[in-house]
Amino acid sequence: MMSKNNNQETVRRFSKPVIVAHWLNAFAFFALLLTALPMYTDFFNWLYPVFGGPANARLLHRIFAIMFILPTIFMILVDPKSFFHWIKQIISWKKHDFQFFAPFAKDFIGKHADVPKQDFYNAGEKLNSIVQILTTIMLIGSGIVMWGPDNFPKGLVLWAYPIHNIGVGLAATLVVGHIYLSIGHPKSKASLRGMIKGDVSLEYAKEHHGRWYDELIQQEVVQGKKGKKSKAPSNSGKNLGV
Amino acid sequence: MEYIKYIDVTKCDGCRACMVACKNWNDLPAEFEEFHGSYQSHKKTTANTWNVLTFTEHVTADNQFEWLYRHSSCLHCTDAACEKVCPENAISYTEYGSVVINADQCVGCGYCVQNCTFDIIELATKKDENGKEYKVAQKCTLCTDRIAEGLQPACATVCHTDAIMFGEKDKMLKLASERLNQVKERYPNANIYNPPGVGGTHTVYLLAERPSVYDLPENPETSYTAKLWKDVAQPAGKLLLGASVMGVVGAYLSNRLFNKEVDESSLNEGGKDDEQK
Amino acid sequence: MIIGANPAENHPISFKWLLQAQENGGKIISVDPRFTRTSSKADMYGALRSGTDIAFIGGLFNYVIENNLYHKEYVAKYTNASFLVHPDFDFEDGLFTGYDEAKRSYDRATWVFQRDAEGKILKDETLTNERTVFQLMKKHYSRYDVDSVIAVTGTDKESYLKIAQTFGATGHPDKTGTIMYAMGTTQHTVGSQNVRSYAMLQLLLGNVGRPGGGINALRGESNVQGSTDFALLSHILPGYLGVPTASAKHATLKDYIENETPKSGYWVNKPKFIVSLLKAFYGPNATPENEFGYHYLSKGNKNYSHISMFEAMYNNEIKGLFAFGQNPVVGGPNAGKEQAALANLDWLVAVDLWETETAAFWTKEAGMNPADIKTEVFLLPAAASFEKEGTVSNSGRWMQYRWKAIDSKGEAKADLEIIHSLATRIKKLYAGDTSAKALPINALYWNFGHGDHPDIDLVAREINGYDTVTGKLVANFTKLMDDGSTASGNWIYSGFYPEDGKNLSKRRDNKDTGMGNYLNWSFSWPVNRRILYNRASANYNGQPWAKGKEVIWWDDLKQEWAGYDVPDFLKTKAPSAAGGMDPFIMLADGVGSLFGALNEGPFPEHYEPYESPIPNAFSSQEFNPTIKVWTGKRNDKGGIDKYPIVATTYRVTEHWQSGAQSRNQEWLSELVSDMFVEMSEELAKEKGIKNKDKIIVTSARGSIEAYAMVTKRFKPYTIRDKQIHQVGMPWHFGFKGFVTGAIANHLTPHIGDANTMIPEFKAFLCDVRRAD
Repeated sequence: MMSKNNNQETVRRFSKPVIVAHWLNAFAFFALLLTALPMYTDFFNWLYPVFGGPANARLLHRIFAIMFILPTIFMILVDPKSFFHWIKQIISWKKHDFQFFAPFAKDFIGKHADVPKQDFYNAGEKLNSIVQILTTIMLIGSGIVMWGPDNFPKGLVLWAYPIHNIGVGLAATLVVGHIYLSIGHPKSKASLRGMIKGDVSLEYAKEHHGRWYDELIQQEVVQGKKGKKSKAPSNSGKNLGV
Repeated sequence: MEYIKYIDVTKCDGCRACMVACKNWNDLPAEFEEFHGSYQSHKKTTANTWNVLTFTEHVTADNQFEWLYRHSSCLHCTDAACEKVCPENAISYTEYGSVVINADQCVGCGYCVQNCTFDIIELATKKDENGKEYKVAQKCTLCTDRIAEGLQPACATVCHTDAIMFGEKDKMLKLASERLNQVKERYPNANIYNPPGVGGTHTVYLLAERPSVYDLPENPETSYTAKLWKDVAQPAGKLLLGASVMGVVGAYLSNRLFNKEVDESSLNEGGKDDEQK
Repeated sequence: MIIGANPAENHPISFKWLLQAQENGGKIISVDPRFTRTSSKADMYGALRSGTDIAFIGGLFNYVIENNLYHKEYVAKYTNASFLVHPDFDFEDGLFTGYDEAKRSYDRATWVFQRDAEGKILKDETLTNERTVFQLMKKHYSRYDVDSVIAVTGTDKESYLKIAQTFGATGHPDKTGTIMYAMGTTQHTVGSQNVRSYAMLQLLLGNVGRPGGGINALRGESNVQGSTDFALLSHILPGYLGVPTASAKHATLKDYIENETPKSGYWVNKPKFIVSLLKAFYGPNATPENEFGYHYLSKGNKNYSHISMFEAMYNNEIKGLFAFGQNPVVGGPNAGKEQAALANLDWLVAVDLWETETAAFWTKEAGMNPADIKTEVFLLPAAASFEKEGTVSNSGRWMQYRWKAIDSKGEAKADLEIIHSLATRIKKLYAGDTSAKALPINALYWNFGHGDHPDIDLVAREINGYDTVTGKLVANFTKLMDDGSTASGNWIYSGFYPEDGKNLSKRRDNKDTGMGNYLNWSFSWPVNRRILYNRASANYNGQPWAKGKEVIWWDDLKQEWAGYDVPDFLKTKAPSAAGGMDPFIMLADGVGSLFGALNEGPFPEHYEPYESPIPNAFSSQEFNPTIKVWTGKRNDKGGIDKYPIVATTYRVTEHWQSGAQSRNQEWLSELVSDMFVEMSEELAKEKGIKNKDKIIVTSARGSIEAYAMVTKRFKPYTIRDKQIHQVGMPWHFGFKGFVTGAIANHLTPHIGDANTMIPEFKAFLCDVRRAD
């Protein structure tokens, strides 16, 4: 649905379930990170009393772990369309996707760069999604083994620890970039609105997701830059990974 | 000074005074396990049973029957996986060669339990002053508190057949190799168990049979997963995380530098984007 | 050779020294119905079916004699092998001459030696005369050839021959071997003869009185030696003086002395010991005029051993019982019957560290209805050994003082305090009473201090003995007199406290005074001698039999015996003097008895256990012809039709006796926390039993439930083509304590040895099946 905001036309980018799922996931991720940080490095041992001791921290970690797993299930049940759109998108890699990265690097540090027109998800978001899905699988899989080690063969248990460790290292690294791009980077931060209110300005859509914008035009969801109100695009997806 | 506990199983007569002496000195509670169908009282060492005497009925290749005993307790590895994986640095090496757990630092995560090469450590459930339960990893300390006072470990002190001896590392290893020659006639498969894969241990066995007969790994190693985890993944992860934080801070600053026209209003505009197009 | 004992499990500290001997090249032989922790450390193991020791040892006699392995010089002069036996003495089909079937006993008229006109025993030191003990013994055991033996014991031939060869080799004068035995030997209907057979083997091999020799009784408790020495038995007074009986031969002290004092040997001094004992008992009340109070001693005619007492209780013949550290509801034979017997008492006093099964015999958990029990039960809390001071005597006869380590909890008191309080109170109750029953109590000289706290030093002084006029301690028993001028509570210990301030049992000098003797450590009775009959350690000329085997030797220059031990006779008695070659001074003949007399006869003969799985192969006498068969109720004999499996009971390292002490200690309880029955894989398969299954074991007396422990350490015996199974179980469990379990003695019978009435715990019949 298009709407006016600050005299700008906007277009619906993410559905309510996507937004709920994203923030639930984000919250769980940070909660998990925080409850485990004192185990990751002694520097954060002061966090134990915050959580009510190591045992409570472990309990919370497990509660948040479930919270971390839930959004995926929630999406599949409530808004499968958005979920599978996301999946389909992130596994579709074309030329413009590969051409994204070189200019992006320049753009990232604030220099001028010519980035080819991107899909609903740009290649950076796609890569982020893929890696985060992988780390999530690593974290959840190894986490389940670590939760009940007695139910698994010792070899598997031994592998779970480094996998969990690698997973969290990768995920946290990406999250740092992800956060920067959504609130720190001057040009991407407009996208944050998409994940809060669900809509983005047409201008933003056009400039950052040119191919999606073209689609919207084609489907007459919007009419040019100054189009009138229209229905939300039927294939709006969610953004789990950005 | 590095010490080792040298266990000559060929001298052990299975009396289990070592088990009682250990519980006595360390004030550990009794644990009544279900009947195991043999003389063995506990399946393995636990957080409150730091040494277990194993009883093995073994028929040798030339059809000789042997009833074998082994005082099973922490081996105090030189490269101890438990020490490596402990996230709290609660496990440390002492000057005597023992591997000890600092109960105050231990948070009861159980990583050491899972990673112990010899399946020795376990978590004890205790209660704090408020009656709240908490967990702490426990195992044989090699009686480090006794060693510090010039005493021997309780099990070695009580062992009436000198099957458990305690002393300077070199001296004990020499005793072991001399004894090995003596027992070869009766036990042709006898061997000294001081596995190099964990850098050697501070509980060294003279075994009458192959290690596997005693449920010991033949060629144990400090698990490579623990090494991968603690020596590669964790430092790399920290580095990566640090680098990414530095990266975004750098990017933020450089944006400020190169991209002066961007201001707070761009938050709602998605950027003015003269560069992308 | 360890036979009928399991020192690794039940006497672990003794086993320490065995393992050291093994390291020095010694060989350990383990002979046992089951493969024990001792067997696992032994150099060779021989399995024998429970109750076949005499066959096993008889075979060794035969092997040693046939292969000329015996110590010839030793046997010729230091034993009665050369003595000629009465011409009418004979043996036929399991019976010696003189058997009276009705009385189940022997007339021993022919069990004597031939004597000349002067009464001297006729000998043939060439040992060739067919009436010599040696030839009779050779003939008797010629029936015990290896094949006949293993057809009874079930031992495999190779092991048997290896053991025979190894132990037989100790017959060489350069070598010695020792035999260790315990309750696996004694707790049989032929228990005494089992022990005797070991002693005879050691005499044949010249292993008695020599270092590293002898037969070593491994006692069931730390102070069994002491309690035996101090006559915690029904048939002796302290110092192995026989209890007088209500018979003409003991009618007066004079009669007792005349009939009980041999004409030769050290026991000629017996009158001094009995009079000194009476003086200790009755003090000033013992005078020559009243025969030193001899008549205050109670005299009876019955057997007063454990089984007899409980049979009497069962038959309402006894009103009260003091159970001092005794737990017959768990430890007694036919324990179910013994528990029922307790209910016939008016009162029971249990003195123990905990409320034992015996103290709680009347409770619901004991399977009784408390309302039906009229017995009044008193429980006196007793102090543990660390909570009191006093001595214990080990089986090397060392009397070692122990000091109190900690105070007792609650009202617990040392046994001595309990006895002292009882004695002083009872004496008070009878004060002024002149009736017959009060006389012994009033005459009793109880002078161990005032109030409720006895002075243990006064007890020690009385044991050592003192001059009744001066009160001065006597140097040792050679100073005791038969005229009432000395008192001694136990003559064999006399000398441990020779003068004021010198209680030798407190000595702790651990310096080796030669050949592994520690003469300044504690005190060993008699007169600190470490090896009894040590004259036998030297040859005819008084020189050691071999280098490295020295104990004492005759020093020709000084004309006295020198060496590492206290000589077992007059220090100046030369080898050439009269009796100078008689090592066995306590025996009238001065030599070891290859021909000796227990109730069953002069030579041990194999009889099957009272309950046996197979007929006796050696004679038509199935079981010991001289045992008393208890025919009362609740003591049925089981036959092989219903109970084809041999059962035996034993102890494990981790528990102590009836478990009263160990099952009340958590750290010991967790080590062996369940009652189990061990059996072979073959039997388990036959019965469809798997390891850890719950099973029922049944005998003619009762049945119990326990876990099955299926093990390779038990093997069925093949006896004359018949497969005989055997199970074993600990007898530690009961219904009190941290860990509980079925009472093994619900299965065992009331049947005992013909000489001592020690119960046959070690061989009885049962059947097993799965519990579900």
